[in-house]
Amino acid sequence: MADDIRALSDVLARDPASLVYADLAEALRRRGDVEQALGVAQRGLSRHPDHADGLDCVGRIHADRGDFAQARDAWAHVLAVAPTHAGALKGMAFALFREGDRFGAETLLEQALAAHPEDEAARRALETVRRSEVGAPAPAAAAAPAPPSPPAAPPVRPEPAPVNAAAERPPVFRGMEGATADILLFDDRGLVVAGGIAGPQGADVSELAAAALAGVSGEAGRTAQYLSLGPWGTIVAEAERANLVLAPVGAGALLLVRRDRSMPVGLTVRIAERAQGAARAWLERQGA
Amino acid sequence: MSDVLDRALDRISRVRGVRGSMIVAADDGIAVAELLMDGVNGKAVAALAGSLARKMGGAAAVTGAGRVRFLQMDAAEGTLLVAAAPRDLVVVALGDPSVNVGLCRIEMMRAAEAAAR
Repeated sequence: MADDIRALSDVLARDPASLVYADLAEALRRRGDVEQALGVAQRGLSRHPDHADGLDCVGRIHADRGDFAQARDAWAHVLAVAPTHAGALKGMAFALFREGDRFGAETLLEQALAAHPEDEAARRALETVRRSEVGAPAPAAAAAPAPPSPPAAPPVRPEPAPVNAAAERPPVFRGMEGATADILLFDDRGLVVAGGIAGPQGADVSELAAAALAGVSGEAGRTAQYLSLGPWGTIVAEAERANLVLAPVGAGALLLVRRDRSMPVGLTVRIAERAQGAARAWLERQGA
Repeated sequence: MSDVLDRALDRISRVRGVRGSMIVAADDGIAVAELLMDGVNGKAVAALAGSLARKMGGAAAVTGAGRVRFLQMDAAEGTLLVAAAPRDLVVVALGDPSVNVGLCRIEMMRAAEAAAR
Protein backbone atom coordinates (compact mmCIF):
# COMPACT_ATOMS: atom_id res chain seq x y z
CA MET A 1 0.00 0.00 0.00
CA ALA A 2 2.76 2.46 0.97
CA ASP A 3 4.61 1.62 -2.24
CA ASP A 4 1.47 2.22 -4.25
CA ILE A 5 0.96 5.59 -2.62
CA ARG A 6 4.57 6.54 -3.24
CA ALA A 7 4.39 5.47 -6.87
CA LEU A 8 1.12 7.32 -7.45
CA SER A 9 2.49 10.41 -5.72
CA ASP A 10 5.52 10.33 -8.03
CA VAL A 11 3.31 10.11 -11.11
CA LEU A 12 1.20 13.01 -9.90
CA ALA A 13 4.27 15.08 -9.06
CA ARG A 14 5.56 14.61 -12.61
CA ASP A 15 2.18 15.35 -14.17
CA PRO A 16 -0.10 17.37 -11.87
CA ALA A 17 -2.89 17.18 -14.47
CA SER A 18 -2.91 13.37 -14.40
CA LEU A 19 -6.15 11.60 -13.53
CA VAL A 20 -4.11 9.34 -11.28
CA TYR A 21 -5.00 11.73 -8.45
CA ALA A 22 -8.21 9.73 -7.98
CA ASP A 23 -6.25 6.50 -7.45
CA LEU A 24 -3.93 8.23 -5.01
CA ALA A 25 -6.87 9.71 -3.07
CA GLU A 26 -8.53 6.29 -2.95
CA ALA A 27 -5.33 4.63 -1.70
CA LEU A 28 -4.98 7.27 1.02
CA ARG A 29 -8.63 6.81 1.97
CA ARG A 30 -8.20 3.07 2.27
CA ARG A 31 -5.17 3.64 4.50
CA GLY A 32 -7.35 5.82 6.72
CA ASP A 33 -5.77 9.18 5.80
CA VAL A 34 -9.14 10.67 4.90
CA GLU A 35 -8.19 14.34 5.27
CA GLN A 36 -5.12 13.91 3.09
CA ALA A 37 -7.22 11.91 0.63
CA LEU A 38 -9.78 14.70 0.49
CA GLY A 39 -7.09 17.30 -0.21
CA VAL A 40 -5.64 15.24 -3.06
CA ALA A 41 -9.09 14.62 -4.54
CA GLN A 42 -10.13 18.26 -4.31
CA ARG A 43 -6.94 19.45 -5.98
CA GLY A 44 -7.52 16.95 -8.77
CA LEU A 45 -11.12 18.01 -9.18
CA SER A 46 -10.07 21.65 -9.44
CA ARG A 47 -8.48 20.61 -12.76
CA HIS A 48 -11.11 18.04 -13.74
CA PRO A 49 -14.37 19.23 -12.15
CA ASP A 50 -16.57 16.61 -13.86
CA HIS A 51 -14.22 13.63 -13.44
CA ALA A 52 -16.62 10.91 -12.31
CA ASP A 53 -14.07 8.66 -10.57
CA GLY A 54 -12.61 11.58 -8.64
CA LEU A 55 -16.07 12.73 -7.54
CA ASP A 56 -16.97 9.18 -6.59
CA CYS A 57 -13.86 9.00 -4.42
CA VAL A 58 -14.86 12.28 -2.73
CA GLY A 59 -18.26 10.73 -2.01
CA ARG A 60 -16.60 7.78 -0.28
CA ILE A 61 -14.25 10.04 1.66
CA HIS A 62 -17.20 12.09 2.96
CA ALA A 63 -19.04 8.86 3.85
CA ASP A 64 -15.97 7.76 5.82
CA ARG A 65 -16.03 11.08 7.65
CA GLY A 66 -19.73 10.58 8.42
CA ASP A 67 -20.74 13.56 6.28
CA PHE A 68 -23.48 11.92 4.24
CA ALA A 69 -24.95 15.17 2.94
CA GLN A 70 -21.63 15.95 1.25
CA ALA A 71 -21.29 12.35 0.12
CA ARG A 72 -24.70 12.51 -1.54
CA ASP A 73 -23.80 15.78 -3.25
CA ALA A 74 -20.67 14.22 -4.67
CA TRP A 75 -22.47 11.09 -5.88
CA ALA A 76 -25.31 13.17 -7.34
CA HIS A 77 -22.70 15.12 -9.30
CA VAL A 78 -21.25 11.84 -10.59
CA LEU A 79 -24.68 10.61 -11.67
CA ALA A 80 -25.32 13.89 -13.44
CA VAL A 81 -22.26 13.40 -15.63
CA ALA A 82 -22.20 9.59 -15.71
CA PRO A 83 -25.69 8.23 -14.95
CA THR A 84 -24.60 4.58 -14.89
CA HIS A 85 -21.45 5.00 -12.78
CA ALA A 86 -21.43 1.88 -10.63
CA GLY A 87 -19.56 3.40 -7.68
CA ALA A 88 -21.87 6.38 -7.44
CA LEU A 89 -25.05 4.30 -7.81
CA LYS A 90 -23.88 1.97 -5.03
CA GLY A 91 -22.64 4.84 -2.90
CA MET A 92 -25.88 6.76 -3.25
CA ALA A 93 -27.82 3.59 -2.51
CA PHE A 94 -25.75 3.14 0.65
CA ALA A 95 -26.48 6.72 1.72
CA LEU A 96 -30.21 6.34 1.05
CA PHE A 97 -30.38 3.01 2.87
CA ARG A 98 -28.57 4.50 5.80
CA GLU A 99 -31.21 7.23 5.93
CA GLY A 100 -33.95 4.62 5.96
CA ASP A 101 -34.93 4.94 2.32
CA ARG A 102 -34.91 1.25 1.46
CA PHE A 103 -36.89 1.75 -1.72
CA GLY A 104 -34.65 4.48 -3.01
CA ALA A 105 -31.62 2.30 -2.33
CA GLU A 106 -33.24 -0.63 -4.08
CA THR A 107 -34.02 1.48 -7.15
CA LEU A 108 -30.44 2.67 -7.49
CA LEU A 109 -28.99 -0.81 -6.97
CA GLU A 110 -31.32 -2.13 -9.65
CA GLN A 111 -30.02 0.59 -11.97
CA ALA A 112 -26.45 -0.37 -11.08
CA LEU A 113 -27.12 -4.01 -11.89
CA ALA A 114 -28.94 -3.15 -15.11
CA ALA A 115 -25.88 -1.21 -16.27
CA HIS A 116 -23.30 -3.63 -14.79
CA PRO A 117 -24.83 -7.13 -14.55
CA GLU A 118 -21.46 -8.56 -13.51
CA ASP A 119 -21.23 -6.37 -10.40
CA GLU A 120 -21.44 -8.93 -7.59
CA ALA A 121 -21.17 -6.29 -4.87
CA ALA A 122 -24.25 -4.55 -6.23
CA ARG A 123 -26.08 -7.87 -6.46
CA ARG A 124 -25.27 -8.76 -2.84
CA ALA A 125 -26.23 -5.29 -1.68
CA LEU A 126 -29.54 -5.50 -3.52
CA GLU A 127 -30.29 -8.86 -1.93
CA THR A 128 -29.47 -7.43 1.47
CA VAL A 129 -31.69 -4.39 0.92
CA ARG A 130 -34.58 -6.57 -0.24
CA ARG A 131 -34.21 -8.84 2.78
CA SER A 132 -33.91 -5.95 5.18
CA GLU A 133 -36.56 -5.34 7.80
CA VAL A 134 -36.98 -2.81 10.58
CA GLY A 135 -33.73 -2.49 12.49
CA ALA A 136 -31.74 -4.60 10.05
CA PRO A 137 -28.11 -3.63 9.61
CA ALA A 138 -27.19 -1.51 6.60
CA PRO A 139 -25.54 -3.34 3.71
CA ALA A 140 -22.60 -1.03 4.12
CA ALA A 141 -19.72 -3.18 3.00
CA ALA A 142 -21.57 -4.38 -0.04
CA ALA A 143 -23.42 -1.27 -1.08
CA ALA A 144 -20.83 1.38 -0.49
CA PRO A 145 -17.63 1.04 -2.42
CA ALA A 146 -15.63 -0.13 0.57
CA PRO A 147 -16.34 2.34 3.35
CA PRO A 148 -14.14 1.00 6.18
CA SER A 149 -16.42 1.31 9.18
CA PRO A 150 -19.64 3.13 8.39
CA PRO A 151 -21.89 4.16 11.24
CA ALA A 152 -24.69 1.81 12.13
CA ALA A 153 -27.81 2.25 10.09
CA PRO A 154 -30.83 3.92 11.64
CA PRO A 155 -34.03 1.89 11.81
CA VAL A 156 -35.41 1.28 8.37
CA ARG A 157 -38.97 2.28 7.57
CA PRO A 158 -40.76 -0.82 6.35
CA GLU A 159 -43.10 1.02 4.00
CA PRO A 160 -42.12 4.65 3.55
CA ALA A 161 -45.04 6.76 2.43
CA PRO A 162 -44.52 7.83 -1.15
CA VAL A 163 -42.90 11.24 -1.49
CA ASN A 164 -43.37 12.25 2.14
CA ALA A 165 -40.83 15.01 1.79
CA ALA A 166 -42.80 16.49 -1.10
CA ALA A 167 -45.99 16.62 0.97
CA GLU A 168 -44.17 18.80 3.50
CA ARG A 169 -43.11 21.34 0.89
CA PRO A 170 -45.22 24.39 -0.07
CA PRO A 171 -48.38 23.25 -1.94
CA VAL A 172 -47.56 25.27 -5.06
CA PHE A 173 -49.12 22.81 -7.48
CA ARG A 174 -52.12 21.75 -5.40
CA GLY A 175 -54.96 20.56 -7.59
CA MET A 176 -52.70 19.54 -10.45
CA GLU A 177 -52.19 15.87 -11.25
CA GLY A 178 -48.85 14.68 -9.89
CA ALA A 179 -48.51 17.82 -7.75
CA THR A 180 -46.10 16.12 -5.33
CA ALA A 181 -44.82 13.23 -7.44
CA ASP A 182 -44.31 14.52 -11.00
CA ILE A 183 -43.77 18.28 -10.73
CA LEU A 184 -40.69 19.81 -9.15
CA LEU A 185 -39.71 23.43 -8.55
CA PHE A 186 -36.03 23.95 -7.76
CA ASP A 187 -33.38 26.61 -8.07
CA ASP A 188 -30.47 26.67 -10.47
CA ARG A 189 -28.08 25.54 -7.75
CA GLY A 190 -30.04 22.32 -7.46
CA LEU A 191 -31.96 23.08 -4.27
CA VAL A 192 -35.54 21.81 -4.08
CA VAL A 193 -38.19 24.52 -3.51
CA ALA A 194 -41.59 22.86 -3.96
CA GLY A 195 -43.39 19.89 -5.45
CA GLY A 196 -41.60 16.59 -5.82
CA ILE A 197 -40.57 13.77 -8.09
CA ALA A 198 -41.14 10.17 -7.01
CA GLY A 199 -38.85 7.39 -8.14
CA PRO A 200 -40.15 4.14 -9.63
CA GLN A 201 -40.70 2.65 -6.16
CA GLY A 202 -42.36 5.75 -4.76
CA ALA A 203 -39.35 7.16 -2.94
CA ASP A 204 -38.74 10.89 -3.22
CA VAL A 205 -35.91 11.51 -5.69
CA SER A 206 -36.45 15.28 -5.92
CA GLU A 207 -33.03 16.18 -4.56
CA LEU A 208 -31.29 13.83 -6.95
CA ALA A 209 -33.19 15.22 -9.91
CA ALA A 210 -32.54 18.81 -8.88
CA ALA A 211 -28.85 18.09 -8.32
CA ALA A 212 -28.59 16.45 -11.73
CA LEU A 213 -29.96 19.62 -13.35
CA ALA A 214 -27.99 22.14 -11.29
CA GLY A 215 -26.46 24.78 -13.52
CA VAL A 216 -28.32 23.76 -16.66
CA SER A 217 -30.35 26.97 -16.79
CA GLY A 218 -27.36 29.30 -16.71
CA GLU A 219 -25.47 27.19 -19.20
CA ALA A 220 -28.41 26.99 -21.61
CA GLY A 221 -29.08 30.70 -21.25
CA ARG A 222 -25.49 31.77 -21.83
CA THR A 223 -24.96 29.49 -24.80
CA ALA A 224 -28.34 30.31 -26.34
CA GLN A 225 -27.47 33.99 -26.20
CA TYR A 226 -24.02 33.30 -27.64
CA LEU A 227 -25.62 31.39 -30.52
CA SER A 228 -28.15 34.22 -31.01
CA LEU A 229 -31.02 31.90 -30.11
CA GLY A 230 -32.52 34.37 -27.64
CA PRO A 231 -33.89 33.28 -24.25
CA TRP A 232 -34.70 29.58 -24.00
CA GLY A 233 -38.25 28.48 -23.20
CA THR A 234 -38.43 24.74 -22.67
CA ILE A 235 -36.22 21.67 -22.87
CA VAL A 236 -38.12 18.47 -23.60
CA ALA A 237 -36.46 15.09 -23.06
CA GLU A 238 -38.15 12.03 -24.52
CA ALA A 239 -36.90 9.02 -22.58
CA GLU A 240 -37.67 5.30 -22.62
CA ARG A 241 -40.44 5.38 -20.02
CA ALA A 242 -41.34 9.04 -19.52
CA ASN A 243 -41.05 12.48 -21.02
CA LEU A 244 -39.49 15.31 -19.03
CA VAL A 245 -40.10 19.01 -19.58
CA LEU A 246 -37.74 21.56 -18.05
CA ALA A 247 -38.74 25.23 -18.07
CA PRO A 248 -37.39 28.40 -16.44
CA VAL A 249 -39.56 30.15 -13.86
CA GLY A 250 -38.30 33.66 -13.40
CA ALA A 251 -34.73 34.33 -12.41
CA GLY A 252 -32.90 31.33 -11.02
CA ALA A 253 -35.81 28.91 -10.64
CA LEU A 254 -36.64 25.90 -12.79
CA LEU A 255 -39.59 23.61 -13.21
CA LEU A 256 -39.39 19.92 -14.06
CA VAL A 257 -42.52 18.05 -15.14
CA ARG A 258 -42.60 14.33 -15.82
CA ARG A 259 -45.35 12.47 -17.61
CA ASP A 260 -45.68 8.93 -18.86
CA ARG A 261 -44.49 8.35 -22.40
CA SER A 262 -48.03 7.48 -23.46
CA MET A 263 -49.00 11.14 -23.06
CA PRO A 264 -48.30 13.25 -26.17
CA VAL A 265 -45.32 15.54 -25.72
CA GLY A 266 -47.40 18.58 -26.67
CA LEU A 267 -49.83 17.88 -23.84
CA THR A 268 -46.97 17.45 -21.37
CA VAL A 269 -45.65 20.84 -22.46
CA ARG A 270 -49.10 22.39 -21.88
CA ILE A 271 -49.16 20.90 -18.37
CA ALA A 272 -45.70 22.32 -17.77
CA GLU A 273 -46.94 25.75 -18.86
CA ARG A 274 -49.79 25.54 -16.35
CA ALA A 275 -47.37 24.51 -13.62
CA GLN A 276 -45.02 27.29 -14.71
CA GLY A 277 -47.85 29.80 -14.21
CA ALA A 278 -48.63 28.43 -10.75
CA ALA A 279 -44.95 28.53 -9.79
CA ARG A 280 -44.54 32.10 -11.05
CA ALA A 281 -47.58 33.27 -9.10
CA TRP A 282 -46.36 31.55 -5.94
CA LEU A 283 -42.85 32.99 -6.28
CA GLU A 284 -44.31 36.47 -6.75
CA ARG A 285 -46.35 36.03 -3.58
CA GLN A 286 -43.14 35.12 -1.79
CA GLY A 287 -41.57 38.36 -3.04
CA ALA A 288 -39.08 36.51 -5.23
CA MET B 1 -17.56 5.93 -41.96
CA SER B 2 -16.87 9.59 -42.62
CA ASP B 3 -18.71 9.56 -45.96
CA VAL B 4 -21.69 7.86 -44.38
CA LEU B 5 -21.85 10.43 -41.60
CA ASP B 6 -21.35 13.31 -44.02
CA ARG B 7 -24.24 12.07 -46.13
CA ALA B 8 -26.42 11.67 -43.04
CA LEU B 9 -25.61 15.20 -41.89
CA ASP B 10 -26.28 16.50 -45.38
CA ARG B 11 -29.78 15.01 -45.29
CA ILE B 12 -30.49 16.71 -41.96
CA SER B 13 -29.19 20.03 -43.21
CA ARG B 14 -31.49 19.85 -46.25
CA VAL B 15 -34.55 20.06 -43.98
CA ARG B 16 -35.96 23.56 -44.32
CA GLY B 17 -34.91 25.80 -41.44
CA VAL B 18 -31.93 23.72 -40.32
CA ARG B 19 -28.81 25.85 -39.84
CA GLY B 20 -26.45 22.99 -39.19
CA SER B 21 -26.03 19.47 -37.96
CA MET B 22 -23.32 17.66 -36.06
CA ILE B 23 -22.37 14.37 -34.49
CA VAL B 24 -20.95 14.95 -31.05
CA ALA B 25 -19.37 12.81 -28.32
CA ALA B 26 -21.86 13.04 -25.46
CA ASP B 27 -19.33 12.70 -22.66
CA ASP B 28 -17.09 15.63 -23.59
CA GLY B 29 -19.08 17.61 -26.17
CA ILE B 30 -16.44 17.28 -28.87
CA ALA B 31 -17.65 17.25 -32.49
CA VAL B 32 -16.99 14.08 -34.49
CA ALA B 33 -18.52 15.41 -37.72
CA GLU B 34 -20.29 18.63 -38.61
CA LEU B 35 -22.04 20.46 -41.40
CA LEU B 36 -22.83 24.02 -40.39
CA MET B 37 -23.92 27.21 -42.07
CA ASP B 38 -21.45 30.07 -41.97
CA GLY B 39 -21.49 31.91 -38.70
CA VAL B 40 -22.69 28.99 -36.57
CA ASN B 41 -20.22 28.30 -33.77
CA GLY B 42 -19.85 24.53 -33.86
CA LYS B 43 -17.91 24.30 -30.61
CA ALA B 44 -20.61 26.16 -28.69
CA VAL B 45 -23.38 24.04 -30.23
CA ALA B 46 -21.50 20.82 -29.48
CA ALA B 47 -20.70 21.83 -25.91
CA LEU B 48 -24.30 22.80 -25.17
CA ALA B 49 -25.69 19.65 -26.80
CA GLY B 50 -23.28 17.41 -24.88
CA SER B 51 -24.02 19.15 -21.61
CA LEU B 52 -27.79 19.00 -22.10
CA ALA B 53 -27.58 15.33 -23.02
CA ARG B 54 -25.55 14.56 -19.88
CA LYS B 55 -27.66 16.60 -17.49
CA MET B 56 -31.09 15.64 -18.81
CA GLY B 57 -29.80 12.07 -19.03
CA GLY B 58 -28.82 12.25 -15.37
CA ALA B 59 -32.22 13.60 -14.37
CA ALA B 60 -34.00 10.94 -16.44
CA ALA B 61 -31.91 8.20 -14.84
CA VAL B 62 -32.56 9.22 -11.25
CA THR B 63 -36.28 9.75 -11.85
CA GLY B 64 -36.72 6.34 -13.45
CA ALA B 65 -37.59 7.80 -16.87
CA GLY B 66 -34.89 5.68 -18.47
CA ARG B 67 -32.48 6.53 -21.24
CA VAL B 68 -33.10 9.79 -23.09
CA ARG B 69 -33.68 9.27 -26.81
CA PHE B 70 -34.44 12.77 -28.02
CA LEU B 71 -34.03 16.28 -26.66
CA GLN B 72 -35.51 19.53 -27.89
CA MET B 73 -34.55 22.95 -26.56
CA ASP B 74 -36.83 25.71 -27.80
CA ALA B 75 -35.58 29.28 -27.67
CA ALA B 76 -37.04 32.53 -28.99
CA GLU B 77 -34.84 32.56 -32.09
CA GLY B 78 -34.03 28.91 -32.65
CA THR B 79 -34.34 25.27 -31.75
CA LEU B 80 -31.67 22.80 -30.70
CA LEU B 81 -32.42 19.12 -31.31
CA VAL B 82 -30.36 16.25 -29.91
CA ALA B 83 -30.90 12.57 -30.70
CA ALA B 84 -29.14 9.74 -28.89
CA ALA B 85 -26.90 7.56 -31.03
CA PRO B 86 -24.85 4.45 -30.24
CA ARG B 87 -21.25 4.63 -28.95
CA ASP B 88 -22.09 7.53 -26.60
CA LEU B 89 -22.63 9.85 -29.55
CA VAL B 90 -25.45 12.30 -30.11
CA VAL B 91 -26.78 13.72 -33.36
CA VAL B 92 -27.37 17.45 -33.11
CA ALA B 93 -29.34 19.84 -35.28
CA LEU B 94 -29.69 23.59 -34.89
CA GLY B 95 -32.70 25.13 -36.59
CA ASP B 96 -35.00 28.10 -36.86
CA PRO B 97 -37.98 28.24 -34.47
CA SER B 98 -40.20 27.11 -37.35
CA VAL B 99 -38.10 24.09 -38.31
CA ASN B 100 -40.10 20.93 -39.04
CA VAL B 101 -39.08 18.99 -35.93
CA GLY B 102 -40.76 15.76 -37.04
CA LEU B 103 -38.95 15.64 -40.36
CA CYS B 104 -35.69 16.68 -38.78
CA ARG B 105 -36.10 13.98 -36.17
CA ILE B 106 -36.52 11.29 -38.82
CA GLU B 107 -33.30 12.34 -40.51
CA MET B 108 -31.51 12.55 -37.17
CA MET B 109 -32.57 9.00 -36.33
CA ARG B 110 -31.20 7.89 -39.69
CA ALA B 111 -27.95 9.62 -38.87
CA ALA B 112 -27.89 7.85 -35.50
CA GLU B 113 -28.23 4.53 -37.32
CA ALA B 114 -25.43 5.55 -39.66
CA ALA B 115 -23.23 6.39 -36.70
CA ALA B 116 -23.79 2.86 -35.38
CA ARG B 117 -22.30 1.25 -38.48
